[in-house]
Amino acid sequence: MRRLTQGNEAVFRGAVAAGANYYAGYPISPSTEILNVASGWAAQHPEFRFLQAEDEIASANAIIGASLAGAKAFTATSGPGFSLMQEAVGYAQKVGVPCVFVNVQRVGPATGMPTMPGQGDVMQVRYGSTGDYSPIAFYPNGVAEAFRVTVEAFNAAEESRSPVVVLSDTFVGHLNEVVDLDELAEGIRVAPRTIPPLGQHEPGKPRFFAGVLMYEHGPNAGEPATADADEYLRQFYDSKHRHAEVASRYALFEHGWNVDASVLVICYGIVSRVAAPLAADYALFRPIRIHPLLADEIRAIADRYEQIVCIEANDGQYADMVELALRREVKRVPLLGGRVSLEAARDGLARVLSGGPSEPPIPPAALEPVERSPLGIG
Amino acid sequence: MPEQALAELDFKRRLKVDLFPTIWCPGCGIGTIMIQLAMVLDEMGLDETNTIIVTGIGCTGRMGSYLKHESVYTLHGRTLPVAEAIKAVQPEMHVIVVSGDGDMASIGGNHLIHAIRRNAHLTVLCNNNEIYGLTGGQTGPTTPTGTKTLSSPAGNPSTPINLQGLVRNSPHALYAKTTVYHQLHMRNAIREAIEHDGFAFVDITSQCIENNGRRIGFASANEMLTFYRKTYKRAARDAVELAPFEIGVLYPADGQHPATNGSPVEAIAEPSRAPEAEPKAHPVVDDEEKARRRAESQRRLALMQKLDPAVKLQVAKGEITLADALRAAGIDPESVD
Repeated sequence: MRRLTQGNEAVFRGAVAAGANYYAGYPISPSTEILNVASGWAAQHPEFRFLQAEDEIASANAIIGASLAGAKAFTATSGPGFSLMQEAVGYAQKVGVPCVFVNVQRVGPATGMPTMPGQGDVMQVRYGSTGDYSPIAFYPNGVAEAFRVTVEAFNAAEESRSPVVVLSDTFVGHLNEVVDLDELAEGIRVAPRTIPPLGQHEPGKPRFFAGVLMYEHGPNAGEPATADADEYLRQFYDSKHRHAEVASRYALFEHGWNVDASVLVICYGIVSRVAAPLAADYALFRPIRIHPLLADEIRAIADRYEQIVCIEANDGQYADMVELALRREVKRVPLLGGRVSLEAARDGLARVLSGGPSEPPIPPAALEPVERSPLGIG
Repeated sequence: MPEQALAELDFKRRLKVDLFPTIWCPGCGIGTIMIQLAMVLDEMGLDETNTIIVTGIGCTGRMGSYLKHESVYTLHGRTLPVAEAIKAVQPEMHVIVVSGDGDMASIGGNHLIHAIRRNAHLTVLCNNNEIYGLTGGQTGPTTPTGTKTLSSPAGNPSTPINLQGLVRNSPHALYAKTTVYHQLHMRNAIREAIEHDGFAFVDITSQCIENNGRRIGFASANEMLTFYRKTYKRAARDAVELAPFEIGVLYPADGQHPATNGSPVEAIAEPSRAPEAEPKAHPVVDDEEKARRRAESQRRLALMQKLDPAVKLQVAKGEITLADALRAAGIDPESVD
């Protein structure tokens, strides 16, 4: 049935379509609707387990436990909650736990601007936890895509045996579009579970899931390997190569708008929707798989363009990665403080393309009290 | 020679004896807790197909690697959310959490109060040694006031956390207090905790001689155990609260309250324990039968103690029966005192 559907709800329904049967979460704007919808779904579907946890740390660890026990599990949060989850993200990376983290971003750092859209967690996803790991992350820019990308995130999580992140933002999460969820769910591919649930191990070989480095195979299996660099290298590169291989199957991106223009605009998530009226004058590269970087895909088209500009609601986090991959200058238009608007994007583009700074002109602080919005926003 | 010492007892089936000796310091109490847990698991017919072990960071956390069970060695303090989720997804599994006082009551304290609030159907064994042992001996949440530690050289200024009060706040949770000296009591408490239909917490006072005991004036682990023997007394049978240095098992006021585990209410009304599942190796037995079996196993153990170690080994391997061994040694099978 075609009906008005919210981005957050589409994420939830995509998860269910992908086979998710466990949700743990803690309320935080602007992701809370996912928690609300999950609780309602669980009330009607007893096979779907729901936990409103005491905090995000518990949520993240609960989905790890649920996944090890055999469920397809996920949680949803925003930047501050995702910060609290980082230790668990690292644990899931180390142990190889398939699960999905949804981060509906707002303006940070800290409590920041809770109701305003931001994209400041691109690097938190990449480097937020301790140690080295290679995460896979996606970022849709609309309601139907949120559904489809969430399905792919669950598939990639199973295949890579790792926590996969679905990034979203206040605007994508709260975007309402007319979609047909049943139609979207038709014919999707759902990956099977890749690790046997707890209790169903090889006879005589009960497993020990540990965050600490352990020998997994061979004569020392089951013993700590906490001082063996070679064993670390074996396990680290095994997961790194596996993640890279799986990610290559999900090289999702959009190369469009006026592809023959001389300037390539790179943007993703809600910014790509907000900037869409610029379509006539610019080419667009929109990564949907944010991590790992779509380096080959960007390199394949970059030479056609005289200039490359990244418009993003952070201070150039994706631009840094692109610049490093291309070894050439990437101009930045940061849309900060929740000002994700066509005007800000257009002004920023004009400024940086004429050789100006990425930092926008900032008016001096008002001497008189600023009139407060009755809603406390804007 | 741990193999020989354990050889006569069936519970070693539950242990990865080939990984022994354990990583724990000589004189540590955790090994005793592990042996008692293994005995209970063996007695109850709980094995790797129906019981999951979840452990936290700290010395106690290593127990999971020595038990022949699927186990999850979680992040520091995060045993309870992991365990609660496992139980929610596989309600037919027994989920046993083994964790130290620091992991459970300090870094994991928030999870503890909320697992109690939600009446998560878990068995929690808390190795309460009143210290952070693995890091060398810093003040923990249960360190008594005035105790000198590496991080409180002038004596711990804080009041230790009241675990009994926390757990007993819930009308559904079982709280048991025991010590590593009182091994039979500990075994019974662990057993009753596993049998309890709801959140069950076993608070086990244990000795950390290396990183606490010596600093506070004990010469050996034996001295610490002797201290437990002399100071800890059993509480009255009908006690509703344990005084300091009392051991006992406190049942919740409301009897059999269903565990919710974050499941929807409908799922609780309908038994979610998968009734169609084939019976596990854990038959339902009444209390009298349990008491009889317990007495029988204790009698058997007492008789075994009278035998020569070499003969004990033969009995354990099933080469000769216990009755034959006793007859050969001229011991009257009824001579248990």
